[in-house]
Amino acid sequence: MRYSRLKILFPIGLFVALFLDGALSNVFAGKLFSYPYSSVLHLVLMWIIFAVFLDDRDDLSIGMWSFFVGLVFDWYYTGIFGVYMIGLPLIVYICRQIKPWLDQNFLTLLMVYIINLTILETFTFIWYSMSHVASSTVADFTVYTLGPTIATNLAIFVILYYPMRRLYLSVN
Amino acid sequence: MQKFFSNRKLVIVIIVLIISVGLMSVSVAIRDKKSTPPLIQQFGNDVAGAVDRVIALPVNGLQSATNSVSDLLNTYQENQKLKKQVDQLAQAKVTAQTTSAENKQLRKQLKLNESLSDYTAVTANVLTRTPSSWMNQLVISKGATAGVKKNAPVMSQSGLIGRVVEVNQTNSKVELISNTSSTSDKFAIQITNSAGKTVNGIVSGYDKSSNLLTMGSVTSNVKIKKGDKVVTSGLGGNTPKGLYVGTVATVKQDDYGLASEVEITPAADLSDLTVVTVAEQ
Repeated sequence: MRYSRLKILFPIGLFVALFLDGALSNVFAGKLFSYPYSSVLHLVLMWIIFAVFLDDRDDLSIGMWSFFVGLVFDWYYTGIFGVYMIGLPLIVYICRQIKPWLDQNFLTLLMVYIINLTILETFTFIWYSMSHVASSTVADFTVYTLGPTIATNLAIFVILYYPMRRLYLSVN
Repeated sequence: MQKFFSNRKLVIVIIVLIISVGLMSVSVAIRDKKSTPPLIQQFGNDVAGAVDRVIALPVNGLQSATNSVSDLLNTYQENQKLKKQVDQLAQAKVTAQTTSAENKQLRKQLKLNESLSDYTAVTANVLTRTPSSWMNQLVISKGATAGVKKNAPVMSQSGLIGRVVEVNQTNSKVELISNTSSTSDKFAIQITNSAGKTVNGIVSGYDKSSNLLTMGSVTSNVKIKKGDKVVTSGLGGNTPKGLYVGTVATVKQDDYGLASEVEITPAADLSDLTVVTVAEQ
């Protein structure tokens, strides 16, 4: 596949991931949000991290698109602006900073993904707590939300890693 | 790493965080107002909703396919159970018809045209659910053009599930009763016991671990038993009277021993929602 095609595919995939997050959350609500545990799907974050780390040319304007997709997330899903809209570009910035120091393979990417999941979930938890949308203690948050979220998303990550790497290898 | 914390970048990060907190505070502060969301936000939601329909359609199709397979497997047992119920239902239906006709006549005599229990139903599909553990919200496929209004109660086939918090032209957002945040509105409910006496109160919380609603600060002396029916009381004006909420699970003293606390098993399964009904007064 040519690189120019990827430049179109990346934003489309990003928005498909955004809407899939919601649709799958509804279909599998019984499994994902079985009380007291709740695992949040983060396909958008996964798509962004694959793009940052697997694309060698760094020419996809991921920061700008992650801002847009975060804006749509706040707009359509929550109605509270300024959370994912800032959180996702923040993740992209952090990833760009640590990318030169990392030897890229499956395990390092897995670790990076865990760290970023933790950062994003904690960021949204702090922000929503500040505006009294979330009312949970830090201990409950770690056990009932963060843990299951990381477990679920890691499983999806493992399944999607090799197909995604193939896609980016064929481009570069 | 020195670069990471350079002066200029630190200032930019702080400014961005301040903007973020500002935007969030404004949107939380104005979201309960009657006039929100503003037109531009409605437009954005309608566009996103239109795109979402394209993606949600195959996913929901897959869900209904698996549901029909599991339905098929249970058909025999369900059929036997339903046959028994049908016989009783015919009797109940006739009684209900006579009572409602009588009710209408009596109301005409009293010149009471609108009652608390009247409502019109708008049926909508569930498009998506907010992928977040803090907001138990659904987006449904009907909006202002279909007559959905803000704060209207929403039901599944079996009972109350939540209320409308944001209305756009072609879709709207529904907050589930399992939302425990302090900003969510509470429903006015009443419990009728076997002797016909009622106790009024509001849904004061939701217990995640046991999946029960709680009705706190009950000081009434009326005896409530496990299994008593809970319906909305129609007080407060936003909700019609008589929407089914669930049944009483336990009654216990609250932490101070002064009032009692009633725990309610919700009738609706909040994790399996595909079609919902909005009740308009």
